[in-house]
Amino acid sequence: MDSALLISVSPTSGVPIYRQLIDQVRSLIASKRLQPGEFLPSVRTLAQRLQVNPMTVSKAYSLLQRDGLVELAPGQGMRILPPSPVKIPLNQRRQALLPLLRQVAATAYQLNLTQQQVMDLLAPLLENFDRDSEANPG
Amino acid sequence: MISSPVIDCIAVNKSYKQNHVLRDLDLSIPPGSVVGLLGKNAAGKTTLLKAILGLIRPNSGSITTLDHDAWNLPPDAKARLGYVPQLITLYPWMKVRHMIDYTASFYPRWDRPLIDRLLHEWELPENATIGPLSSGQLQKLAILLAIGHHPDLLILDEPAAALDPVARRAFLATLLDIVSDSTDAPHTILFSTHITADLERVADRVAILKDGQVVYHDSLDTLKDHVKRLRITANAPLPTPLNLPHTLSEEISGPNARITLRNLTPELLARLASDLHATIEVEDLNLDEIFLEFHHA
Repeated sequence: MDSALLISVSPTSGVPIYRQLIDQVRSLIASKRLQPGEFLPSVRTLAQRLQVNPMTVSKAYSLLQRDGLVELAPGQGMRILPPSPVKIPLNQRRQALLPLLRQVAATAYQLNLTQQQVMDLLAPLLENFDRDSEANPG
Repeated sequence: MISSPVIDCIAVNKSYKQNHVLRDLDLSIPPGSVVGLLGKNAAGKTTLLKAILGLIRPNSGSITTLDHDAWNLPPDAKARLGYVPQLITLYPWMKVRHMIDYTASFYPRWDRPLIDRLLHEWELPENATIGPLSSGQLQKLAILLAIGHHPDLLILDEPAAALDPVARRAFLATLLDIVSDSTDAPHTILFSTHITADLERVADRVAILKDGQVVYHDSLDTLKDHVKRLRITANAPLPTPLNLPHTLSEEISGPNARITLRNLTPELLARLASDLHATIEVEDLNLDEIFLEFHHA
């Protein structure tokens, strides 16, 4: 599978392109559409395919590498790593999620949704990823 | 190693009679970057680009281009420059092919294969006479003439203004090829535009020009990461004004507020939420919206 086809960006979004790339690679790995051992497209290939600045792509790749999702295999490119045991403390991971949840809460309030209705929406989304997190609890 | 900037403007002023176009303008551009220069009409974009090229002389301040005083660029520095002006004037009686040959004859390292390939890809008829060319075709030709010698510094003034969407994409792809071409020294590109969508694809840096000054210059990612709009909903009426640091715009109505900040930090967000007892929604802004925010009265 040509992994470049799985990735797309919207340059006019308010989210910087490098973060769009990181988010997509993360979710491709989480949903197993990118498997450990597979390679990300080369910086040049992806930049040309998406028509974005190659520096943006290489910035995203180096951040993915820093976060331990991929490794640089010399001469071959960026290889997807197997999910590593989580090293970040639970409290920090909670803090990272909190701003997003605040937005969810605020939007739910504006839409006049009850707690239960929000939970009902969230639960199946979490279940989608559940198989992947079983291997690395807290 | 810190490489010296390709362009370094310090306290540049330029007036035309009573019209003060550039005001103590500072701008420093590192090599290898692709910089989009954004500004409203008459913000001074063309004047700045021409001053960087040594085509007009500032009243005061200094401009260093490719390590030389811009007003006294030696021929070898000029040979490393490429320029696409906003107003393209070429010999109307020449054919496209002759214009290219003529330009190529000035440069020892002209890339004929590249230009031939682009002529074909961009559907420019090489036997057409320049006079009757459409403004889009003329713009394509001017771009070819400016890149055939692989300039170290390419300056384009509204390069995509006359191009249709298909041609604009082709042109952007070419710009990206130039940037990716890392075989020789890093190429630097500076282009003015008011089409922010183009800029978001290719530029890694943005300079926003307003009233003759650069009011923002940093990486595009940093800009998008830092400039945020907050929608605040509190339980009680909010104080007016809120006087938050780096406010670009602020609208407050009772317990609701819509505020755009130039530099939102997680700490500030957390502090605000607890100080105001409010729910705060953070909105990402695209470049178009950010540009508008910088131009609030």
